[in-house]
Formats: sequence, structure tokens, C-alpha cells
Amino acid sequence: MKRRITILSILLVLAVVLSACGGTATTEVPAETTAAPTEPTEKTEEPTEAPTETEEVPSGEVVLPRKETMYFNGQQWGSVVCWNPYSSSCNNAMTIAQQDNARVLMFETPYLYNMLDGQVYPLLADGDFAWDEGRTQITFKIKPAAHWSDGTPVTAEDVAYTWATHVKYDTATGASNKAYIADIVAEDAQTVVIKAVLGENGQALNPLLVQSYLSSNYVIQKAWTQKLEARVGEDSAALLTDPADDVVWSGPYTKFYTDDTKVILIRDENYWGQDASMWGKLPIPKYLGHMIYKDNAAGTTAFKAGEVDVSQQFIANVQDLWLKEGLPVSTYLPEAPYHIGASLPTAFFNLGSYGLDQLAVRKAIAIAVDYDTIIANAMTNQSATFDQVPRSLMNPTPGEQALYDHDAVKDLQFAGKDIEGAKKLLDDAGIVDTDGDGWREFEGQNLHYVATAPNGWSDWQAAIEVVAAAGKEIGIDITTNYPEWAVYQTIVTNWPLPEKDFDIFMMWSDGAGPTQPWSRIRHLMSSEFAETTNNWNGNWGGYKNADADALIQAIPSMTDEAALKEAYTELVRIYLTDIPSFTLMYRPQSFHTVNESVWTNFPHEGDGTVPPVPPLDLMDGWSVAGLYNVTLVNP
Amino acid sequence: MKGYRKYFLNKLLWLFITLIFAFVLNFFLPRLMPGDPVAAIVGRLAQGMSDTTGMKAVYERYAELFGVDKPMIQQFFIYVRNVLKGDFGLSFSQFPRPVADILSSSIMWTIGLQFPAIIVGWVIGNVLGAVAAYSRKGWDKVIMPVSIFVSNIPAFGMAVILLAIFAVDLKWFPTSGGYGYDLIPNLSWQFVKSVFVHYQLPFWSIVLVAIGGQAIGMRSMSIYELNADYVKYARFMGIKDRTIIKYVFRNAMLPQITGLALSIGTMVGGALIAEIIFSYPGLGYTLLNGVMGQDYPLISASTLIITIMVLLANFIIEIVYGLIDPRIKAAQAE
Amino acid sequence: MKHTLRQVFHSGKFVAGFCILVALLLLIAIYPLFVKGDPLAIIGQGTFFPPGTYVNTYDSIYAPNTYTLNLKDAAANRIAQRLPEKDREEMKTWLVAYGIPEEQIDVNDIKALLDIWFENYDPNESLGMIYAKQRYYQRLNDSIRNLLSIEGVILAEKNPETGELQEVGIVNQTDYVNINEVANVRVLPLGTDNFGRDVLTELVRATAVSLEIGLVAGVIATLIGLTLGLLAGYIGGWVDDFIMFITNLFTVIPSFVLLILISFSIGQEKRGAVTIAIVIGLTSWVWTTRAVRSQVMSLRNRDHVNLSKLSGHSIFYIITHDIFPYIASYVVMALILQISSAILAEASLSILGLGPRTTDVPTLGLMMNWAMIYQAHIMGRWWAYLPVIIMIALITFSMNLMNTGLDQVFNPTLRE
Repeated sequence: MKRRITILSILLVLAVVLSACGGTATTEVPAETTAAPTEPTEKTEEPTEAPTETEEVPSGEVVLPRKETMYFNGQQWGSVVCWNPYSSSCNNAMTIAQQDNARVLMFETPYLYNMLDGQVYPLLADGDFAWDEGRTQITFKIKPAAHWSDGTPVTAEDVAYTWATHVKYDTATGASNKAYIADIVAEDAQTVVIKAVLGENGQALNPLLVQSYLSSNYVIQKAWTQKLEARVGEDSAALLTDPADDVVWSGPYTKFYTDDTKVILIRDENYWGQDASMWGKLPIPKYLGHMIYKDNAAGTTAFKAGEVDVSQQFIANVQDLWLKEGLPVSTYLPEAPYHIGASLPTAFFNLGSYGLDQLAVRKAIAIAVDYDTIIANAMTNQSATFDQVPRSLMNPTPGEQALYDHDAVKDLQFAGKDIEGAKKLLDDAGIVDTDGDGWREFEGQNLHYVATAPNGWSDWQAAIEVVAAAGKEIGIDITTNYPEWAVYQTIVTNWPLPEKDFDIFMMWSDGAGPTQPWSRIRHLMSSEFAETTNNWNGNWGGYKNADADALIQAIPSMTDEAALKEAYTELVRIYLTDIPSFTLMYRPQSFHTVNESVWTNFPHEGDGTVPPVPPLDLMDGWSVAGLYNVTLVNP
Repeated sequence: MKGYRKYFLNKLLWLFITLIFAFVLNFFLPRLMPGDPVAAIVGRLAQGMSDTTGMKAVYERYAELFGVDKPMIQQFFIYVRNVLKGDFGLSFSQFPRPVADILSSSIMWTIGLQFPAIIVGWVIGNVLGAVAAYSRKGWDKVIMPVSIFVSNIPAFGMAVILLAIFAVDLKWFPTSGGYGYDLIPNLSWQFVKSVFVHYQLPFWSIVLVAIGGQAIGMRSMSIYELNADYVKYARFMGIKDRTIIKYVFRNAMLPQITGLALSIGTMVGGALIAEIIFSYPGLGYTLLNGVMGQDYPLISASTLIITIMVLLANFIIEIVYGLIDPRIKAAQAE
Repeated sequence: MKHTLRQVFHSGKFVAGFCILVALLLLIAIYPLFVKGDPLAIIGQGTFFPPGTYVNTYDSIYAPNTYTLNLKDAAANRIAQRLPEKDREEMKTWLVAYGIPEEQIDVNDIKALLDIWFENYDPNESLGMIYAKQRYYQRLNDSIRNLLSIEGVILAEKNPETGELQEVGIVNQTDYVNINEVANVRVLPLGTDNFGRDVLTELVRATAVSLEIGLVAGVIATLIGLTLGLLAGYIGGWVDDFIMFITNLFTVIPSFVLLILISFSIGQEKRGAVTIAIVIGLTSWVWTTRAVRSQVMSLRNRDHVNLSKLSGHSIFYIITHDIFPYIASYVVMALILQISSAILAEASLSILGLGPRTTDVPTLGLMMNWAMIYQAHIMGRWWAYLPVIIMIALITFSMNLMNTGLDQVFNPTLRE
């Protein structure tokens, strides 16, 4: 009898469990036809606060037709939190990314930046923007055709109110721009005027940053913003934490379905951009999908299987996919480095560290490093080498490369792995090993440094290993150390850096954008960030050079191209002479690898598009144009 | 029955004391980690922006919002008050998503994957172990070494091998996710089938490793019981083999059931690697991300859930033991 | 003692496990004598070189003797490698799509195929094909240039003064070198990893380190578990209650979660292999405590213990003399299990990126972690991860076999 009870109870538990597991699958399901799907748990626990997974009723479609859906990876990590364009922490990578190359699938900017030619092209705006005579304000118009998802037109008033809201609630956008933008006002329904904060000379303090606002920040509907304000009672924290499920958008896509495993966007069939004044048609894929993978490996596996069309992940040895496995995969460039480099992952010297204030030591380390190995191993050759693109402050795009005089700084270049040169440099500076322990001393103290990168940032870690190896070759003891990112970032952004452990450390540099390369140079060299706390800008090593500061301050207002080129060349010269930091590799703005099993005609080098569509996954800045060009392999 | 009540109340008391201490530890342990969660969020906001001079103000606002600028003790009492109201706060790393929302959407996946896997592994393992113990010769020679070897392939190794063979090479099973990448959850056969198919590899990667350990344990226990004096005595008395076996295996099962209760505690950690390798949704990865992102509310709430599950499982087992195990019954009478 | 040992070595399972473990230990001890050098030295510029024998090309050219071998199938092999049949079929596909009548193309007549190919192929002609395909043909076109040439390759040197190239020799298609005469030949039995390190050398060192970690962690866990278990089991009362309370706390906050939290808090910079071992040891004593306690409780009221008590021996004396010897065999088995589970714990931690510091020493978990970060398992680089999994399985397998063997020896009822 008792045994039967035991068996029965086991069976019972099994049954309960199995049904519970089946339950997960079925309970959060939208009924096939009309019922609005909401998560059952939310119904009971958090009826108002929780971001509901889907408000819209999926229009009956439960299997997304492969030939109408384009899949991405590498953008969205973890679940979507909210749809609030005022918040910067929605973890909603597919729709909310206000940055130099703003993501414009759901919300739109007035202009689109194109990293390939460095130009901006109107989106919500009508025609080019114009500075006034004295460079105090910018005027531009809004396209008459542009309208919101609720049918009302996009007006200048929306642009002005968006800015006013950013300032009033002190959002990240407001906080970082109000030093340069005095006000944004609507002259009439179509005309927007951006008033710059003026400098001592009566001109805009920083015209570059004012301009860049136009291509990096969304226009948000005034009516919806007011509704939001009413809902949150004008409380700043509540405004930023509102999930904004009722948000009104102007872009070509909107949310369709999200849960812990995926995000699906659906095309807005009423998108204003099908007007002849913009694209003249709707984007080709009806759905955009993004599975949430837990790591790069899982995303790559799916990409190989053809479940992902456009990959924004770092795929180690990407060329194997077509060379060895014969998959229909391609990158923007046919050969290494496969991608267009845009940012310069950089090793900074902590100039407060003992001996690193000596140019000879910094330079010796920098010229001894084997960059070819870094590029071959850490980046698996997905970076241009320093032979191909000589070291400077510019990224490898042709636009930026043309901004300085290569020949003028030629004799300052170094290609790395110059062990003898580095030793000679140190010997000449009198930094030699006097006590015979194998390590050189400066003023009697051994040169011992710790090179760091955040733990888990694999390419940086692999690169910093090579830096350490170079130090050992030239008699400088460099060991490595990888703190967790959570710790790393707090230390790096707060001067003074600890005496040990952060002598040479990796940080990023700006990528491609409308304020580049100026902004990148400022972040690498400007003394305004040196020795500051809470510093998310740059110059973490504490470099100061008055000449560089003067040039950095002058460039935004410069209009003469020859003078500009001279200024940039001078900055590169200072950078290569003083070596406050050194770039280890080039990294693309986005990795852009495509699998042409279903879709084809993606952007690639020499694809004949005018203006050229940049390889930014068909969603950032001008690259969104690519969504109108793609075609099916087998229609 | 009086003895049993005392036993029950005693266990209940310990349950509460343990719960309270575990709760306090769950709150303080994560907060003792070095690093600054607010800096992490601000850092995330700052990336990709061309000018970030105003970030100090943003930093201070978030610090105030999360309450991390207050003394730890004060934070603790605020936390206790909120938890009693059923509010676990807002997640830092997935701000502004409520912790309750994150957990409720991931915990079902974990339970759905781990619970059946543990039970199935336990049942198959015990049956194999019992068979091996009973038949000794033939089966035992095969089952034992194979069990030992399989149970010694590390869980991640098993997951990676299954992935490489069945998903990447043979393409019999999908590589990742909880259900088809082209599906929206719905009540159709196709969807159920998709969930089922996606379930297989993570499930078996856990079950296969679990079977071996259980089989070894059950075999030892069974052999031990088979040779116990009472068995010999029963045989001597002429009781039917069938009846004896019934008692033997029931006795051998008891320690195994304790093991089952304890393995509930390893559920979340145990599924972590399978979750990562198969990109399967679940609590393990949520917890790991919480640790990496210093998401105190999320870590505290996840560990609290685990704590409660283990406590309950243990408690139930002990209570049931008190009812059925004659040895414990005897102790109550003392 | 001697008798017990003899008994132990009569157990087939124990001996099998013991042999595997000794073989591994011998490998660890002997291998470094033959292959010297830092196991973490980066030797490859590039990632995941496949296993094989690497012959220095430069030294091959300057080998003391060049031999001429007229092998019949040499040319055919050469062509087959550079232009396998699959590629010839693809060439045909392109030509047909381009409008060449199918019957004019014979994929087996390589010369004719190449003629017709070079005559018609235009790299700028897309023929409506996807980019991946277009680029495939462009690469193919580049790779088959001079395929049928019977000329050798001319070697040239740069004149140090004028910078011009001067011919210094020629490598003919029939030239061979004897591999024994090449100055630099390196065998990489398991290829290289993502850093360009020799996997086998690294694996041997990593095995040693992982065993060390297992040993340290196992000893710590067993010592703590043994002490607490003895105290709780023998003394009983409030000591027992207190120890069981702590044990329960550690049960309800699972050790793996604690392990993650602690490892993260320590920070990678301070996570040496020994530190990790200590952390693992400090979080994994719980079940040993429980097991020892229950063993002790069953011993507590044995006659000899009572006798000892009556003789007025101290608690310490009783525990060490009257209790411990009876559970010693049990403790040894627990230690073995703790060691093998600590090795697994290190590996799991490392896979999560919370393992020991990368640069000091390799461990099995770190090797696995980096192989997975650089996606070896989905790009078919088996040599970077499979040997690691097998090694871990072998170590723990050998220990568990030994453990089962011991179990049978010390629990006579389990004997066959």
C-alpha cells in the first residue's frame, strides 16, 4: 500500500511539474485572434508599474514568415525594460539609442549622419540646416509630410518641447547639451531655431556640438510628453522610469512582441516616410526580429544556422564561415580587416605613476608592443594594421584620414615590435638596470607596472597581455590585472588613480560621428578632463598640454579647411610626440556581418549606393537606408 | 502524537530562525561587494554620447533614487518594510524594471527546466542503481563504470558536446532559445512542439549528468540494506523475496530523498551553465547578471527565492520523515 | 595498515582509478622535461592553428640539401588541392549562368576549363548572385592563376644598397627537403589556442594547477567538515544545534551562489589559483559536516567510547583516539570526492569568468573559458576545448573510481 502511495505521489509531482512547465509556454500567450496578451504574473502583482510585454494585439500572426522578417543579433542583451525615449536606461537597443549614429527605427532625428562621407542627410528635417551670419543659431524646417503614428503632423513645436522637457527633467540628453544649447524654439509650425550658448567672441561656444544635436537626438511628440507629465505628476524620477507603453512614434517600425527571449518590431504601414519627399516607399522587411542570446557564441551559432541575417557580434575568425564552411556569409569588405574601423581602443598611461611621466619610458613601451600580434590574435585580423592605417588620432575612414597631413608626421610613426629601438631609447635616457635584477630603474627605483583591462572584455584582455609581454622584453616589469568592470569603471573615472594596479589601462575612444574627429581628440587629450572625478569623457591618464588645449578649443569654430587640416596635423604631431596614450587596434563602429540565406543586397563596399550606405546594421544613422534596398534571395 | 507535535514545532522554529538569518545574509552579502552600481548605470548612459559633462548630476540623482547614499542599516530597514509589502524594489541593472517582474518571467523557465530534469534524473538514476544492486553481476558490470564516467563529464562539457553534435553538426535540435525564433507564443501545436524541441538539449544535458550520481548512491544504499541483518532475518523467517525487496528499497530510498531535497538548492546554480550555452531563459543567468551588474535588489531577491525553496523542501522532507521513518519516530518518543 | 592497503589494491576499481591518476601525474612530471618553455608563451600570430607538424618555410629553402623527386602524382595532388572538384563544378555553374552552353564545359578537362574560364570570367559581373557567391568567384579566380604552370618560383633578395630585387635561386616543383634537415620544425600535437599558445603544453600545466586547486580546496573543506562534524556529532547539545544551524544556513544559500558572490567580490586581480582554491574549500564543507556528524552520532554510544569516557579521558582524546580512527576511511573517501568536486567547481567558475587570474597560470577552467569566448566549440576547433573536457572527466573519473573501490573495501557488505 505504502509503496503505491510513494509511486503515486512521485507521478503526481511529475505531472504537476510537467504541466507547470507547459504552463509557462502557454500562459503568456496571446490568443490567436484578438485578446490582448499580458503576462499573467503581472496581472496579479504589478498591474500598473510593470512594463507590459505587449500592448498591441499581434495581428493574428503567430509564425513570422521568414521572407518578411529580418533577424539581427548583437544589439539586444537582456530583456527590454521600457519604450520611453526620454530614458536612457530602457535596455531597448533596437529602438532607443540616441548617439552619434542615432538608431532611427521607431523614433527619428531631424538629420541622419553618414559615417562614410561624414555628411548629414535630412530625415524629419526638410533640406539642410543653416547657421545665421554671426553663427549664433541654426534654423531648419520640418518636412510637411512627416507625421506621428497617431496621424498628427510632426511640428517645430514638438522639437522645441522635446528639448524643454530634457532640460526641465534634467535627462542625460539635457544634462550633457545645455552647456552649448541655450534654447530651441519654434518659429512657426515648420521652422525650428536652435539658439546656441555664445562664447566670448559672440559666436556659438561650440557649433559642432550644437549641430550634432540634430542627428543624435530624437524628436518626441509634445502631446504625448504632456500626457506623460500629467501621469507622473511632473516628477523627474517617475518620468524617467515610466515604461511608456503608450508612446507615440514617427519611425517606420514599432513594437510587436517582446519577452525574455526576443524582441520583434513590426512595420508601421502608415509610416510617413513612404511619401515621395523622403524614401518614397516603405522599408522592405515587415518584421525586424532580435533573439536575446546569452553570449556571443550562442548568437554566432544561430547566425551560422541562418536564423540571423545581420550580425553585430564579434565573430572570431569570421572568414572561416565562408572559406571553410562555405556559408553564404559576407562582411562589408571582402578581405581583412573585413569591417570599417571607427574607434581606437586605447591604452592610457597613468601619468601620475612613477616613471610614466618620463617620455622615454612611455615611448619605449609603445614602440616595443607587437601590434601585429594584437591584431591577429585579439581581433583575429578584424582590424586594419598600423602599416595599412598609420597611427594618428583619426579613425580609418577616408573622411577622417584626409583631415591631417600624413607626410608631416611620418617620422613620428612607429609600427611596433621595435625592441632594439626601445632599449636604445631607455639607455639613452639613462634608464638602465644598475642592480642587475633584470629590470630597469628610474632614479633608483625599479620600473614595475600593472597593465589592466576589465575582466571578460576578451579582446582588450588579449591585447593587454601582448603589451605586458613587450615590457618584459625591454626590461620593464609589466604584469596584468583584470578587475571586474563594475570595479574598473569606478576607479578609472575617478582621479587620482591608485598608485599601483592602474599604470597602463584600456579605455575606449569615440567612434564615428558628426563631431569627429574633434570630439575624439578632445576626449583623448583635453586637459579639461584631466585629474577630474566622475569623468566619463576621457583623458583618464591625466595628460595636460596647453598647446593641444588651445587647438582643441579653436577647432569647433574653424571653417577654413586648410587651417583645420593644419590644426589637426599639429594635434597628431603632439599626440605622437608626447604619447599620453597609444592605440592598440582599430575597431568598427558596428560589426556588420550578413548571412545571405534569405535576404541579400546588403550594404557592402562598392555597392554603388549614392550616398554610400554605411555598414551599421541597417539601423543607425544613414545606414537605415539599407532597409529600403534589401531584396529576397528567392522571392 | 504529542511527540510529533513537539518535533513539528521544533522544526518550524528552526525553519524561522534559519530563514531570518538567511534573509539578513541575503541582504548584506551582495552589498559588501566592492564597486559602485550607480557608476555602472551612469557609465552605460555615457557611452556613445559626444558630450558627457553633465554626468555628475545624473549620477547623484540615480544614487538618491536607489537609496544607496543612505547608511546600510537604514537601507536594510527600508528593504524589510518593502519586502513585507511584497515589493522587491527596482532592479539596478535592468532599471527601471521591477525585480518582481524580472523574477516572475524567468523563474518559471528555471523550474520548468530544472525540476523535471532533477526528478527524471533522480528516478532513472535510482531505478538503475536499484537494478544494479539487485542483479549484481551482469548489469552491475555495465551500469556502474558507465554511470561513474558519465557523471564525471562536467556539466558544461556535456552541454557543449551535446550542442556541438546534435545542434551544430547534425542539426537535429535548435541551438538556442526557449522556443522557435520565428514564433510568437500562442496556443498552437506548432508552438508546443517548438517549446518541446527546444527543451530537449538543455534538459538532457542536466539529466545525463544527474543519473550517474544518483545510480551510484542508490546502488550502495541498496546493497547495504540488502545485506542488513533484518533482511537475513526475514529470509530466515521465510518471508517472500518480493516483500523483502519492497522494504529494502524503501529504506534505501530514504537517504536518496534527502539528497533530492538538497538538490533543489543547486537547481538555480546547476542550470546556469546550461542556460548560458543554450541561451535558455532562466533564473541562473539572471542571478549571474545581477552579480556582474551589482544589482543588489535582484541578487537579494533571487537568493531569497532559492533560500525559501530549499527551506521548504527540507522542511517538507523532515516533516514527512517524522511521519514515516521509524527511527525518527522512536527519537520523538524519547 | 599493510593489510588494508593490500586489500585496497585488490579492488579492481580502485586500481583502475589509481592507474589513470598516476598516468596523469607522470605526464605532468615528465612532459616539461621534454618540452621546455613557458606554457603561457604566445607563439602563434593568429588564433587556433590546427594540430600538426609545422615546418619552417624559410629554413626549408636554406636546408643543406635539396632533393629532386620525380613523383608521378605530384602535379595532380597540387591541382587537386588548389582546385578541387567542388570548385570546378562551381566554375561550371558560373559559366553556365554567364551563357556558355553547358555541353562546352568539361569539369574534368582542367586545361580546357581554365581556358574557357579566363576567357569569360569578369569579376565585376554579378549575374544576380549574392555577394558571398560573387566574392567566392573572385577569390577562386585569384587562387587558380598559374595553376598549370610548370615553372618554379624564383627567390629574390633585396640588395641592401640599392634596394632592388636580385634573383638568388629558384624553387622547382620537383624540389624536396628532408624534414630532418630543416632547422626549425615544431610539432603542435594539439595546435594552438586563441592567444596563439601551444595547447598541449598549456594543458599539461593546467592539469597540474587544477589538481593543486582541487587538493587545497579538498583538504580545507574536509578539515572544516571533519572538525565541525566531530564536534557536532560527539558533543551534541547546543554545540550540535549551533553547528547544524550554520550548516543549514550554508545549505539554504547554495554554495555555488556564495562562490560566485565571493569570487566576484575578491576581484580578478587578487584571484590567484590558491585564493580560488581556498574560496572553494570554504564554501563546500557542508555535506562533509553532515556526513561526519551522522557517522559520529552512530559511534557515540559504542562501548569502547563509553569505556574511554569512564576512564576520564578528555573530549579531545576521545575524539582523536576513539572516534576518528573509526571514520578515517570514510574521511579519506570524502576527501577524494571533495577534490574532484573542487576541480569541477574551479572549471565552472572559470567558465563564468570568475576563475583565477588569466595570466599567472593556466587552469583547465580558464582554457575552457577562453576557448568558448573565442567560439572554438561552434567553429569546429575541437583541439581547443575537447582535450580539456576529457582531461577534467578523466581526473574526476579516476578519483570516483578510487572512491568506489575504497567504499567496497571499507564497507564489506558492498564487496562483490
